[in-house]
Amino acid sequence: MNRYEKAAGGAVALMLLAAGAIFLYAPGDYLHGPVQRIFYLHVSSAITAFGCFAVVLIGGIVYLRNESPSADRIARAGALVGVVFTTVTLVMGMLWAKPVWGAYWVWDARLTSTLVLWIIYAGYLLVRRLAEPGRQSARFAAVVGIFGFADVPVVYFSVSWWNTHHPGPLIINNALPPEMLATFLFTMLCTLVLAGVMIGVRYRIETLLDGRHGVTERAHVVASRRPEASPEPVP
Amino acid sequence: MTYLVLAYTFAVVVLGGYLVWSLRRLRELERPER
Amino acid sequence: MNPFRVAVAVARKDLRSEWRTRELVPALAQFVILALLIGNFGFQIDSRNAASIAPGILWLALVFAGLVAFGRAFAAEREQASLEAMLMTPASPVAVFAGKAAAAFGLLLLCEAVMLPALSLFFGTPLSIEVVAAVVLASVGMAALGCLFAAIVARVRARELLLPLLTLPLWIPFIIAGGSAVQSAMGLPGNYQEAIGLLIDFDILFLVLTSLAARFVLDE
Repeated sequence: MNRYEKAAGGAVALMLLAAGAIFLYAPGDYLHGPVQRIFYLHVSSAITAFGCFAVVLIGGIVYLRNESPSADRIARAGALVGVVFTTVTLVMGMLWAKPVWGAYWVWDARLTSTLVLWIIYAGYLLVRRLAEPGRQSARFAAVVGIFGFADVPVVYFSVSWWNTHHPGPLIINNALPPEMLATFLFTMLCTLVLAGVMIGVRYRIETLLDGRHGVTERAHVVASRRPEASPEPVP
Repeated sequence: MTYLVLAYTFAVVVLGGYLVWSLRRLRELERPER
Repeated sequence: MNPFRVAVAVARKDLRSEWRTRELVPALAQFVILALLIGNFGFQIDSRNAASIAPGILWLALVFAGLVAFGRAFAAEREQASLEAMLMTPASPVAVFAGKAAAAFGLLLLCEAVMLPALSLFFGTPLSIEVVAAVVLASVGMAALGCLFAAIVARVRARELLLPLLTLPLWIPFIIAGGSAVQSAMGLPGNYQEAIGLLIDFDILFLVLTSLAARFVLDE
């Protein structure tokens, strides 16, 4: 059992503890019933996904500044894990929305921008897959990742502005009783740990894949040290 | 409620499945090349 | 090399080559008219609901025409070669990008010059300065973003697939604000001033971001 598997085992154990807290410790919600328990993992996944995409953002910025392949690799890892968690967020959200609001989907700011987030980073992953591995694909992806991250708050803002003319069901945040808050924070922590392990595993996979494609530290240094083409007269 | 069960089942399948898949991928790649 | 003059030169070159071949603009014009036709049959428009549906059709048609136009902006082989030649000069990549984005914006304006009168003709909606202003303002930001991502996907496989996927999420704020502006200009409830203000804000934001990103995307 290698160390990644041990870490994964630990993360899974933590998630099982969180499940225990969610289903056994947290009090029931008298307003919405048992469905309310979805929110613990749903919101944790959403926040974790944002964390993953922040990793993509930072990796991209670092990559554009100094072309370090490890920055690019962690961006790739963050994007994939982020998309996984965004998928969980969206589906759990829809399964919560149906019994509570009566519809699987509403065009409110939060849901819409989460969907847009998913689309943007799925696009990021496609760009990586379809472009030749190496410097160019890493640069392009970094730009996509940065624009994607910037776009989400803009979309959120636009949709909530739009909603002032098209009001829909509001998500009311009541103050949480302490047991619920504690359960939520604990679940958040465990989910973040799980994401961290997933990113670590993926980072290692990307490193090995890069090695196979000949994209190593050295290759990058050689590529960026190519002498600039001398200015030629425009034809 | 069924929605609760569905939601958490989905989460477990996706997150657990992804974790298992990536660990197996890692094992494959770590094997020494012939 | 004065970056402003570089940008103007690039824009003129692009527009002139498009004029010489005259492929894109007629095709886009036809596309736009067809989109309006489909809108009419798809939505069963009559004089009562025209004003509420027409803005949606306008944006759909504009978005798809925009994707076609930008897809071509960097596509052709000769385009790639001349781009590389331009980038080997001391001209700044941002200036080159600005020129291409300006040309793309020009093409988009031409599309709109066909579409807006046709929309007014087919659906009976007013063709006012407010409507035109909203569409033009939105096109500025959309052109900059479309051009940037067209440059990104130009050298990637399956670019026709990737361009909409990458560009549309970024165009959403423009469609929301622009759509709202056009709707309120056509008599539906809404705050025109606010919507236009948003469009201007988005334009500024994305013009700045795309010019910062241009050197990473165009630099070889």
